[in-house]
Parts: sequence; C-alpha cells; structure tokens
Amino acid sequence: MIHFDNVSKRFPGGYEALSGVNLHLDAGELAFLTGHSGAGKSTLLKLLMLLERPTSGALLINGKNVSRLSNYRIPSYRRQLGVVFQDHQLLMDRTVFDNVALPLQVAGYSRKETGRRVRAALDSVGLLSKEKQSPLALSGGEQQRVGIARAVVHKPRILLADEPTGNLDPELSAEIMNLFQRFQDVGVTVLIATHDIDLIHRLNHRIVRLDQGSVAEGGGAYAPAL
Amino acid sequence: MPQPSSQTARRGAVGAKVGLRAKIGAVIAHHRHTFEDSLIRLLRDPFQTLMTTLVVAIALSLPATLLLVVDNVRQIENNFDSFSQITVYVDNTASQQQVAEIQEKIQSFSEVTSLVYVDPKQALNEFTEASGFGSALEYLEDNPLPPVFIIEPAIDVLSLPQKAQKLIAKMVNIDLVDDAQIDMLWLQRLKSLTELGKKVVLALGSALGLGVLVIIGNSIRLAIHSRREEIIVVKLVGGTDAYVRRPFLYFGMLQGLFGALLAGIMLIIGFWWLGGSVENISQLYGSHFVLRGPGFQGFFALLGTGFLLGLAGAWLAVSKHLNHIKPR
Repeated sequence: MIHFDNVSKRFPGGYEALSGVNLHLDAGELAFLTGHSGAGKSTLLKLLMLLERPTSGALLINGKNVSRLSNYRIPSYRRQLGVVFQDHQLLMDRTVFDNVALPLQVAGYSRKETGRRVRAALDSVGLLSKEKQSPLALSGGEQQRVGIARAVVHKPRILLADEPTGNLDPELSAEIMNLFQRFQDVGVTVLIATHDIDLIHRLNHRIVRLDQGSVAEGGGAYAPAL
Repeated sequence: MPQPSSQTARRGAVGAKVGLRAKIGAVIAHHRHTFEDSLIRLLRDPFQTLMTTLVVAIALSLPATLLLVVDNVRQIENNFDSFSQITVYVDNTASQQQVAEIQEKIQSFSEVTSLVYVDPKQALNEFTEASGFGSALEYLEDNPLPPVFIIEPAIDVLSLPQKAQKLIAKMVNIDLVDDAQIDMLWLQRLKSLTELGKKVVLALGSALGLGVLVIIGNSIRLAIHSRREEIIVVKLVGGTDAYVRRPFLYFGMLQGLFGALLAGIMLIIGFWWLGGSVENISQLYGSHFVLRGPGFQGFFALLGTGFLLGLAGAWLAVSKHLNHIKPR
C-alpha cells in the first residue's frame, strides 16, 4: 500500500533529511515509525501527505507513483488519507461535529450522509455525546480523539499519525493506540510516528526505526509494486 | 498493489467515493452555505463592514456622479443641435426692396431649409418688452437694430464645419449683407469640454476602480489572515483550491455589492434633491431641461460594477495570499 523506493529528500540549503529510504507497508498493516528528533520522521510523513516532494526516488501509494502527481490532483489524493496531528489541528470556532465533518464537506458529501458518518466516527472514538460542544471544552485526550474521528470519518485506506500521544499521559496514550489498532482491524493501513518507545514495545507491531535519514531497521519486504 | 497477506485478506476499507450528482448537489449546497456564512461574517463585524462599504461607496459614487453630469450636459447639446441656426445681418441702410431681393437670393440656396425675417421694428419692440429698458430705449433716435434673417440650414451643413463656412461665405458675399454668424462655436467648446469630461471620468473611474480593488483586496487579505488555521486544515483534509477560495470570493463580492448599493442610494437621493432646484432654474430660463439621475439602468450598472470589482479584488488577494499559506 505504501512503498518508498530509494527516496531521498534534500531541502534547499543542502540538508538531506532522507537519503535512500526503502520502506514497504502492506495494505492493512500497522507500523510505528521511530527515531531521534531530526531522523526524518516528519519529513517522511510530509512526503506521504504530499506536503513535500521527494528529491529522488519513487513513492508508490496503492501501486501508483504519487511523487510526480500534479498539484491539481493533490486534493483528491489527500482525501484517501486520514491524518492525525500531534497538535490535533482542530478548529476552535466550530463544534466537534463540524470539525469531524470537514473532510466530508470538502469531498462533497450530502448533509444526510455527512451526519450519519460523523456520528459513526464520533461513536467509534466514544465522543458521540460531545458532538455539539466546542473542542475547547474537551480534555487533551478527548481533543485528540476528535482529531482521530476527523481522520477516519471518510474511511481512508491509509491513516497517518504524527506523535499522536505526544502530549498525553501513559494511560490516555495506550487508549489512543488501542483506537489505532481497531482501525487496523477493519483494514486500514496505519503508520504512526512516535517517540513513545516504552508504549510501542508493549504492543506487538512492526517498528520502523529511522536514523539520520535512512531506515535503520524494520524497512519491510522489498516487494516490487504493481 | 502487493498481494494481500493472510492478515489483510479479511479487510477492505472502502475509500471515499461520491457520485457526480451528489457532488454537484454538494457544490451547490456549499455555495449557498458559503454565501450565508460570508453574509453572517460581514454582519458580525458591522464596524469594519460599514467602513469598507462606505469607502467603496464613495470611490464608486464620485466617477458615477461625474458621468451623470457629463450625461446631462450632453443632453443640453442634443437639445441645441436640433435648432442650430445661421443669423444673417443686413446693412441698416438697405431698403425694403433690397431686403426682399436678399431674401430671394438666400432662399435660392439649396443648403437653406427655411428662413425667418426679423423686422428691425418688430425686434426693437420685442427687446423693449423683454429687457425692461422700455423707457430708456424711447430716447433712441434711430432703430439701431439691423434687419435680420434667421436661417435653418440643412442638417448636413451643420454637421460639416467646412460646408457651414462655405455657406456663410456665400451669404456674406451678397450685396448689403454685413455679416453671417453661426452660433456653433460655444456649442463646439461645450462639446470639447464634455469630451474632456468623459476622459476625466474614465481616468478618475479607473483610478478609483483600482482603489476599490485595493480596498477590497486588503479586507480579503485580513480575512485570509484571520482564517489561516481553517485554510490549513481544509487543505490538509483534501480541500481543493476552489473550495478554499470560495468563501473569500463571496466575501469580496458582497462587499463590492454593498458599496455599490450604498453609492446608488446616495446618487438617487442626491439627484432627487438637486432635481427640484434644477427644474426651477431651467423653467426660469424657459428650458425643458430636466436633470437626469442614474435611473434603473444606471443603478444596476453600478451594482454590476461593484460586484465585479469586489470579485476581482477578492480574486487578486486570494491568488496572491492563499499560496503563501501552506500546511507545515
């Protein structure tokens, strides 16, 4: 589903954030992405979101090389992704419902369908009762769960998370990770960048470790994409 | 796509797919929602909205007023065009017989459509009555007024200055004709003045139109800035550029429309207020001149202009500032 083929990213100024990354994730797999700060985790996620383009190499998503996708096609590409951010990127001037509904509005869902899906997503993160509240009224863990509901409301095939537990205590972090595993269970490919080594070693999933812009371990089977 | 492993075989999340019809319906719904939302945002910040509206209204009403003034002056021109005349002055010493001969000669010219003879005595009587100098004029020994013919030339003569000059030369050449004058010079001056006025309107209109673009562009820039977070999130979840642009275009459009509406109302009230006085004056001068306001057509042209300027200003601001806002 996700396939990095010898991907490098050099920023203007010469700093090479990623060099020759080979990484393969099967559909429905869940993997953790770890490494020191500056190892290239964020850059790797940004490439996946097409916020940045690889300098060289190919990035195949679902067998399609997206590294040269035209700007015009980026929005429809991003709709296949769900992204959870460390700072959750919620809009504080809207209700929880409206925040979660945003990916559906953008994709052009009807009001009725939107309502149905938003409630389903909120239900799956256990926040159905809070749909009319402002995110400001919620705790940090709840806000993050709203962010997750927004990331999965349009049923993406790929779910990315950038330090989703960064600001949470261990108990809430475990809860959030449980949520991600439940999405994996319904077939979503999940990639989670995290520092939380203790937590992920307790969970039985693949760990991809980045070191100075290269995959140090856990790159996965190098299967040619179709 | 790689072969699904045994672990993945039971899965099959479905990507978000929406039919075309539903999509069009959603776009229309988004347009409506965006329109309402922009309106609410404008009303929620009444002071800012009022300021922008007022500035836009002033910038639009200035050239519009000038345009209407030029339009009214041209109305005067057109009224005079229809009875432009040539006045032929005959020497005071000419006898009745000679005057009759001159009249015959003038009438023989093909360029002359009609001719009126103004008898000196009759003219003096009229002047005495109209001027109020009655008693003073009685002291005159001789009638100082010459016999006069007022000639209405053919239309093609009036429209071509060379032809008019030729006709005047022909008449001056007649014996005992002192002078022939065409009362067109002031009309030509007026015409060149209105030409100038039109150019001033164009220049002023362009400058102020540009001003409106900048004003609305600036207010859009502020709106973009205050909704930065929202723009980023919308882009991250796959909002197209058109989707991101839409609220700002509506915002600009509405501001342009509000400004134009206010300008239109100001013009209508202003011209209605002046109209009464102008009518009084023109009645005193025995004219049928009526001050013309913007009218329905002008009013809607103004609204259209405001709408387009608002849209263009928003478009400029959006294309300039939106690309700078990129998700981190």
